[in-house]
Amino acid sequence: MTRATQAISLAEARARYQPDAELAPLPAMIDPDTLLAAFHPDHLRGSVVKLVIGANAGDSCQHELADLLQAEAVIDEADLAGTPVTDCDVLVIGGGGAGCAAALAAAERGASVILATKLRLGDSNTVMAEGGIQAAIEPEDSLQRHVQDTLRGGHHAGDPALVAAMVEDGPDVIRWLIRQGMQFEQTAGGNLHTRKAGGLSTARIVHCRDYTGLEMMRVLREAVIQHRAIEVWEQSPAIELLSNERGQKCVGAVLSSLADGRLRIVRTRSVILATGGIGRLHLNGFPTSNHLGATGDGLVLAYRIGAKLRDLDSFQYHPTGLVYPPHLSGKLVTEGVRAAGALLLNADGQRFVDELAPRDVVSAAILREVRAGRGIRSPRLDKERYGVWLDTPRLERAQPGLLERQFPKLLGRTRGAGLDPRVDPLLVHPTLHYQNGGAVIDVDGATTVPGLYAVGEVSGGIHGRNRIMGNALLEIIGFGRRAGVAAISDRDRGPKKVTLEHVNRMRRALTLAGMPMMRKAPQVLPPYAGGVWGR
Amino acid sequence: MEGAVEFDLTINGQCAQAHAGMTVVEAAWRNGVPRVRGVGCLEGVCGSCRILLRHDGEVTVALACQTFVQPGMEVVFLPPQSAPRHHYDIDEFEDSWSIQSRFHEIFPEAARCRHCHGCVVSCPKGIKVEEAIMLAATGRFRDAGEMFFECVMCELCDNACPEQIAPAHVGLFCRRITAHFHLRPPNLIHRLEELRQSKQGRGSHD
Ligand SMILES: Cc1cc2nc3c(=O)[nH]c(=O)nc-3n(C[C@H](O)[C@H](O)[C@H](O)COP(=O)(O)OP(=O)(O)OC[C@H]3O[C@@H](n4cnc5c(N)ncnc54)[C@H](O)[C@@H]3O)c2cc1C
Ligand code: SF4
Ligand code: SF4
Repeated sequence: MTRATQAISLAEARARYQPDAELAPLPAMIDPDTLLAAFHPDHLRGSVVKLVIGANAGDSCQHELADLLQAEAVIDEADLAGTPVTDCDVLVIGGGGAGCAAALAAAERGASVILATKLRLGDSNTVMAEGGIQAAIEPEDSLQRHVQDTLRGGHHAGDPALVAAMVEDGPDVIRWLIRQGMQFEQTAGGNLHTRKAGGLSTARIVHCRDYTGLEMMRVLREAVIQHRAIEVWEQSPAIELLSNERGQKCVGAVLSSLADGRLRIVRTRSVILATGGIGRLHLNGFPTSNHLGATGDGLVLAYRIGAKLRDLDSFQYHPTGLVYPPHLSGKLVTEGVRAAGALLLNADGQRFVDELAPRDVVSAAILREVRAGRGIRSPRLDKERYGVWLDTPRLERAQPGLLERQFPKLLGRTRGAGLDPRVDPLLVHPTLHYQNGGAVIDVDGATTVPGLYAVGEVSGGIHGRNRIMGNALLEIIGFGRRAGVAAISDRDRGPKKVTLEHVNRMRRALTLAGMPMMRKAPQVLPPYAGGVWGR
Repeated sequence: MEGAVEFDLTINGQCAQAHAGMTVVEAAWRNGVPRVRGVGCLEGVCGSCRILLRHDGEVTVALACQTFVQPGMEVVFLPPQSAPRHHYDIDEFEDSWSIQSRFHEIFPEAARCRHCHGCVVSCPKGIKVEEAIMLAATGRFRDAGEMFFECVMCELCDNACPEQIAPAHVGLFCRRITAHFHLRPPNLIHRLEELRQSKQGRGSHD
């Protein structure tokens, strides 16, 4: 992925490192667009192809994802014979924050809900979120500023109507979360504590130390489990959607079981896809911060039933994924650490980028340093990895006790490997973090296919081509709840017949385009964990 | 790390080869061990990859993604915990004066802790579960909840508790109640009020 012949070794760099070394001033920045074009992984040659079939035919798409979008289904009609059928009002697919918020919103309004999720309920990207959630609540802040920051951060590719909807939900989302029992950090005066982050014009991120996602997820998980109208099916990945006879409306889904591979059909008025992101596709060979279930299943299912997707060539590589210790490869060090003042240093011990520039710019700058031989080489048994320093010891010197107070997760995670960020700088490298695009939706989370909603990371349009910190957690709750409400207002009496007509349609398109039909999707689990799913 | 020596261990009854520095999850994948279903976040926060460990004559529980392999170790991945037996709806609490009595209705076992330390020994996050349960039983919900701050809801303590107190869910109850009744931040309330008056917000989602 990245070549760096002259890079020095971790041991050598560690020996050279001094937390009080004098730093040269930051060199003048080159134009961000030039930097992105030269170094951002989205622009790597050969990484993007044009889609040939489906609602986005002709659009650019990362090739690993294109292979899955233009693949055969894993089941056909013969598999459905004798499969047990369950009816409910709303089927939610995915048990992260978006799925739980949607299920609760629908259930609170009297709907019968099934929430089916691939792994354990709450096993998700949501539970790992650290930094926090945006809401414009400070006196000097406003909804307008939040909208502007979001659109600017997304390089003005976001949909202003969706952004406005997310932003205006902000303060009420926080209130709703508190009502569910979520705690947030407070100031001495009782206000919610807010922090700033890259791309924000003012402090707007509320948080629960660096465990915001864990706190959110355990509370929502408990609320869902406790709710009488929600039935939870764990270890039950959705492997296909179901359509009406004409293949034009989504009327349910086929769920498999990780335990015994048996299929179940759920027949319903509306399906809400909340399957999260794609990190485990390891686009361009990158490590990822995502959980094991982030294999882009939702995009595959939505595309096959005809939903339009967007921005499939735009992914977020978070600048600070851990390189060392190896078992935490790709795992995130929250941007909050840089927001608190931690600097990035190359192998020469010098700064090379404004640490709080937008994420894509910071990532591109790190990749440039590594490619120019100013990276640090980490020992690995499989393949060599490179990185730069995140200078946490210097931060600790400047603000003693801060890391322990505000970043207990960071300290706890590295402790097991004998690393202390208060003394040891952290070796970091960009890590595949977030799917900027996804299913096209309206302000209710409705996709272009009737009966099918998409919320959370699987949807697109809000973050344009670059997400700023804290907007994902806001979006999943705001849009999750919007979709939960909208999904039950559609009062038609539900499907008579469930079919795989859309699967047949896709198969015909594949044949016509002369495309190989060997590959099947969704993937459900990455191949290296496939020993599990494969048998 | 380079050139590390391989050694044997068993995972779910199957012999596996690994080297120092690998986690149990990495070893299970590398050896294609079946029935490994609880793996999720790989950083110790989703609480899913619960294992039973037998090593040097000692039996312990842990999270597989945070446990490094050792020669001769025997590992069994545990099935998920069954659904909780304690039920409540946080919106049904009328006011905060009645919480303590409601707590004992919902979690009647919590007052019967026999101080066996089962929960404390099980907790992969080093939480003083037993002490926290004592605080909860005497109505100190805020303090008890704070002790569960790093709880990842692996429910290994629930597994261990002979009184079926469900300490993990007690902890979460304490945290939720504290936010639900006592977190009233002026800056948030002020903004909500401004939005209500200007009708800019979409209105409440409740
Ligand atoms: C390490 C990390 C830190 C982050 N920090 C922040 C932050 O500080 N602030 C912020 O705003 N955002 C942050 N993000 C982003 C944010 O957490 C996610 O974008 C967001 O939580 C996604 O929520 P979701 O509900 O859409 O998806 P997820 O939370 O990922 O949930 C998706 C669920 O769907 C399930 N699923 C997947 N496929 C299937 C299938 N086929 N069938 C059934 N179920 C399926 C998965 O198992 C999972 O349970 C972070 C992300 C990561 C990875
Ligand atoms: S308190 Fe219980 S549920 Fe929480 S981390 Fe410890 S053992 Fe797991
Ligand atoms: S395991 Fe149960 S009975 Fe034993 S100390 Fe913990 S809470 Fe008390």
